[in-house]
Amino acid sequence: MLIELRVNGELRSADVPPETTLLKMLREHLDLPGTKLGCDVGDCGTCTVIVDGVSVNSCLLLAGRAKGSEVTTIEGLANSNTLHPLQQKFEEYGALQCGFCGPGMLMSAKNLLDNNPTPTVYEVRDALAGNLCRCTGYTKIIEAVVDVSRDMKAESDA
Amino acid sequence: MKSLDYIAPNSAEAAVALLSENGESACPLAGGTDLVVDLKHAPGDIELLVDVSRIDEFRGIEETEDGLRIGSMVTYGEIMSNPICLEKTPAIVDASHTIGAVQTRNLGTIGGNLVTCVPSADSAPALMVLDAEVTVAGLDGKRRMPIEDFFVGPRKTSLEPYELLVDIWIPKKNLGKPSDFYKFGLRKGQALALVNAAAAIDIKKGKIIDPRIALGAVAPTPIRALKAEALLANEKPTPELIVEASEIAVTECKPIDDFRASLKYRQQLVRTLTRRVLTRSVEIASNR
Repeated sequence: MLIELRVNGELRSADVPPETTLLKMLREHLDLPGTKLGCDVGDCGTCTVIVDGVSVNSCLLLAGRAKGSEVTTIEGLANSNTLHPLQQKFEEYGALQCGFCGPGMLMSAKNLLDNNPTPTVYEVRDALAGNLCRCTGYTKIIEAVVDVSRDMKAESDA
Repeated sequence: MKSLDYIAPNSAEAAVALLSENGESACPLAGGTDLVVDLKHAPGDIELLVDVSRIDEFRGIEETEDGLRIGSMVTYGEIMSNPICLEKTPAIVDASHTIGAVQTRNLGTIGGNLVTCVPSADSAPALMVLDAEVTVAGLDGKRRMPIEDFFVGPRKTSLEPYELLVDIWIPKKNLGKPSDFYKFGLRKGQALALVNAAAAIDIKKGKIIDPRIALGAVAPTPIRALKAEALLANEKPTPELIVEASEIAVTECKPIDDFRASLKYRQQLVRTLTRRVLTRSVEIASNR
């Protein structure tokens, strides 16, 4: 079936079998392998992307369901010159070790800050509960996200 | 994943027709948080997915003269950010918040939670204490029933073949009724309930009116604690009475004994959670 959608602002399409998940379509048909395949059952969150303004597990969403949607993937965060503030802080804090959870962590964090620019630490933890990391113990990831929101607040207050 | 056909009809009639024409090989697809996993690992005879998530009459949350209508394909995420639900049915919002994680809550639907019909379904107790009703549509049109009649057993509802859950109704008189929900799992995030509980009560002239207690993961289906409710009705809401009601609630449950928690542990959870949700509901009712 022909699926047309907008990915990171660009109109994309692919002819995929109906059982194709959005994750598979992104990685194998649209040449966007930044979104990772982890558990493939909706537990680990490394496949997280933003579809029409909400974060979802792309491994659980059939491409047919995403038809006509606006999708943002990890490839949509940085441009060729500048990292996204979340990416900068993740680097600064050493928030990633192996990095496999990174694309999902960053998309969940972006989705949080898009909807709630000044989250409490509890809200950050809650927002990242669907993203598993086996390396870091989460502390630096949470600190990085809190620091980005602090910077955003300082900027908006200035 | 095995090869499948996919179709997204735009009306309940069209969806029911597709299901009846294709029999066992067709399956309705809602949020997909359970079904897509099953399709990857144990697809069975399913050959056609009938995506019901885009049917207009299955969507939306609105307040009408009858009460609050929640479309079956409303996601937990939508419930959690809906101003009417936040103001008038906070127990349903709280229950939604305990399900899965952000990403699964943005896919999973309240109708899917009910149709899957596991004993631990978190939305069930919150809906039951508000006397929710459900509308279902099938080959013979629509019918409506109390939500308790919808649950038959583990993974078994009273849906007839080819019937679909359309929406959920909370009667107007229960919008804003003091209520509370509490879930206990082995973790805060992405855990199944060992026990979940909800309560709703009104207080008039210092006495409890229309008490409701519902418990999940303690019997083959979510249940009401009717004897405990009867003890509370028309009495003064004292801490001693709430303790006594919680004790009775334990006797109304038949929890399982397994590797997640022993029978005794689950019984203790019923005692504690019932006390908490009742106490909180009384506090809310007393403070207004």
